[in-house]
Amino acid sequence: MMLKKFTSRRTSMITAALIGNPNVGKTTLFNSLTGAKQHIGNWAGVTVEKIEGYLNDNIKIVDLPGIYAMDTYSNEEKISKQFLKRDDVDVILNIVDASNLERNLYLTTQLKQFNKPIILILNMIDAAESKGIKINYDILSKKLGVIVVPIVASKGTGIKKVKELLENSSFDKLENNILEFTTEKETYSYIENILKGCLTRNTDSSKISISDKIDNIVLNKFLAFPLFFLSLFIIFMFTFNLVGQPLSDILDKLFNDSFIPYLNSIMANSSEWFRSLIVDGIVNGIGSILVFLPVILTLFLGISFLEDSGYMARAALIMDKLMRKMGLSGKAFIPMIVGFGCSVPGIMSARTLESEKDRKLTALLVPLMSCNAKIAVYALFTSIFFKKYKALIVFSLYLLGIVLAFIIGIFFKNTIFKKNEEPFIIELPEYKLPDIKTLMIHTWEKGKGFVKKAGTVIFAASVIIWFLQSFNFSGITDMNSSFLASIGKFINPIFIPLGFGRWQTSVSLLTGLMAKEVVVSSMGVIYGGNLSILLPQYFSTLSAYSFLVFVLLYTPCISVVATMRKEYGNKMAAFSVAYQFTLAWVISFLVYNIGKLF
Amino acid sequence: MCICDLKPGEKGYVKKIYGNEKLAKRLQALGCIEGTEISVKRTAPLGDPIIINLRGFDLALRKNDAKKIYIKED
Repeated sequence: MMLKKFTSRRTSMITAALIGNPNVGKTTLFNSLTGAKQHIGNWAGVTVEKIEGYLNDNIKIVDLPGIYAMDTYSNEEKISKQFLKRDDVDVILNIVDASNLERNLYLTTQLKQFNKPIILILNMIDAAESKGIKINYDILSKKLGVIVVPIVASKGTGIKKVKELLENSSFDKLENNILEFTTEKETYSYIENILKGCLTRNTDSSKISISDKIDNIVLNKFLAFPLFFLSLFIIFMFTFNLVGQPLSDILDKLFNDSFIPYLNSIMANSSEWFRSLIVDGIVNGIGSILVFLPVILTLFLGISFLEDSGYMARAALIMDKLMRKMGLSGKAFIPMIVGFGCSVPGIMSARTLESEKDRKLTALLVPLMSCNAKIAVYALFTSIFFKKYKALIVFSLYLLGIVLAFIIGIFFKNTIFKKNEEPFIIELPEYKLPDIKTLMIHTWEKGKGFVKKAGTVIFAASVIIWFLQSFNFSGITDMNSSFLASIGKFINPIFIPLGFGRWQTSVSLLTGLMAKEVVVSSMGVIYGGNLSILLPQYFSTLSAYSFLVFVLLYTPCISVVATMRKEYGNKMAAFSVAYQFTLAWVISFLVYNIGKLF
Repeated sequence: MCICDLKPGEKGYVKKIYGNEKLAKRLQALGCIEGTEISVKRTAPLGDPIIINLRGFDLALRKNDAKKIYIKED
C-alpha cells in the first residue's frame, strides 16, 4: 500500500463532487445540502445535466451523474472522470446504498484513483438495519482510508454531520492509500475481503421481500400491461384533464381576458405599432410560454413519482420488446405517449433516458405523435370536408403518425445512430414511497429550466413573427399585405404538387410555426369570412386530407424547436426542422398524387 | 450453458462473459464476474428481457445479451 499526499489545490472556495450509483438517494442528499441555491446547466458537448449548488458562500457542491463505474464507456462516466481530475476538486462525496455495499464500493475503489479525500456517505442505513445488515463504520473507514458517515437522507438523519465535515474541512487530515487493480475480479475480492471484516448479515433468506411481492403483481403476464396503461392514464388525467390543463386554461383565460385588455387600455394613447409590439408580440409570446407551465409541472410530478418509486424501471422492462423494434429502449415509450399531449414536455421527459442516443432519437420521433394543438385544425377541416367520417379521419392521422414514427425510428437506427448500439442493462431498484420534498424539487427544476431557456427563444421568435405579419416596406399593415404574405406567396409553389398551393394556405402554415392551432385563426384572418363556406372553394376533399397530413407532420412549432435547441443544441433543432418538413412534403405528395388515381 | 438456459428460480455460477466489450465491462463492474452466484428471477411479460439477481440486486437484460453470460451449475 502506497501513501501519498493529495493533489488538490486549496483556494478560498471548497469544491465537493457528489457521486454515486443510480437510485441511492443522491438527489435527496444534494438538495438537503444545498437547498434552493442551485444552478442547472449542461456539461459541454453532451446532453447530461450539470447541477451545482452551494452549502454556503465558500462551499460548492457539484452533483455528478449517477454511475456504477468510471470505465464502461458512457458520456456520464467521461464527464465525471474529467471533472474529478480537475485540481479545484477538493473532496469527493461518495454516496452509497448501505444495503448494497458490495456493488456500491466498486465505484469507490475507482474514485480512490483520483487521489482526493473521500467522504463515504452510507445512505439508507435504516433499510439496511431492517434487513439485518450491521456495519462497523470505524473498521470500514480505516480499511478504505475514507471518512464514513451513516445517514438516512430522506429523514435528514446524519446530514448535519456531513455539513460539519465540509465546513471544518475535516477531510484534510486523511491520507490516501492508492488502490491499483488490473481486473474487476481483483477489485471485487478486495471489496469482499474488506466487508468480511466489518459487515455482518442476519437475513432470513426464506422471506419474500416486499419488492418481490409487488413485482409478482406488476410484472404478472396478464396484469402488467393493464396496470402500466392505468398508471399512464392516471398521470395523463392529472396532466391534461384534472390539474395541469385546467390550471393552464385558467392562466390562459386570465391572460387573454383580463391582462391583455388591461394592457391595451393603459396603452390606448401610445402609438399603434408600439402597442402592438408590446401586446401582440412580446406579452403574447411570453404568455404562450407561461400557459405551458402548469401542464409541464404536473406531468413531471407524475413522471418523477414513477421514477422515485422504482416503477419506471419496470415500465421500461415491460415495453422494451416493442420499443426495441424502432431502435429505442422501453423507457422511451413514456416521452412518446406524452407527445400526444404536447411535444414540449415529451421532448423534455426524454432526458430521463439512459443513453444519449436514446434521448436524441426519442426527441426526433416525439413530434410525430399528433399533439393536442393540431386537434383545432383537424376539427375545422373534418367538420367541413369529412362530416360523416370525422372520427375515422382523425384516427387515421394519429395512426399515420405512429406508423411513421416506427418507420423513421428503424431508418434512423440503421443510419445516423448506427454506431451507437447500447447494451440494455437496467437495475430494478426496490420499491419505495417517494420523498415529497425531492419530488417537488425534481419537478420544479425542470419547469424552471423551461421558463428560462426555452422562454428566451420563444420570446425572440414571437417578436420576429409578429414583425413579419404586421409590417411591410411601407410600415405597419394588416396580415394580407405583410412581409409574411410576401413570404407566403414566394414559397407557395412548393405546395402546388401537394394540392393546396394557395398563398393564403402557405401563410397560415407559416403562422402555424408559432403554435399549430394558430393555423385556424390565421385562416380566419386571411380568408376574412366564414371558413365553412370559403374553404370548399379552395380545397377538394383530397387536398383537404393532404393538407391535414401536412399539418400532422410538418416542422414543429417554435416552442418545440426551442425546447429541442435547449436540450440538444442548434444542430439537432435544425435537423428536426428539416427532416420533418421533408417528411411532411413527401407523405402529403404521396397522399395527394396516389389519391388522384382513384 | 448460458444464463438463458436457466428457468426462473434456478441459479448457477458465472464462468465467462463473451461478446462486446461494453456489455462485458458493464456487467463486470456490477460484480458479474467469474464465480459469482447468479439466478434468473423471472421473464418480462412479453418473454424478453429477463430479470437476473446477483449480489443481492435485480438486473434486467435482453436475452440477446444474456446469452453472452456463460455459467456452470452448482
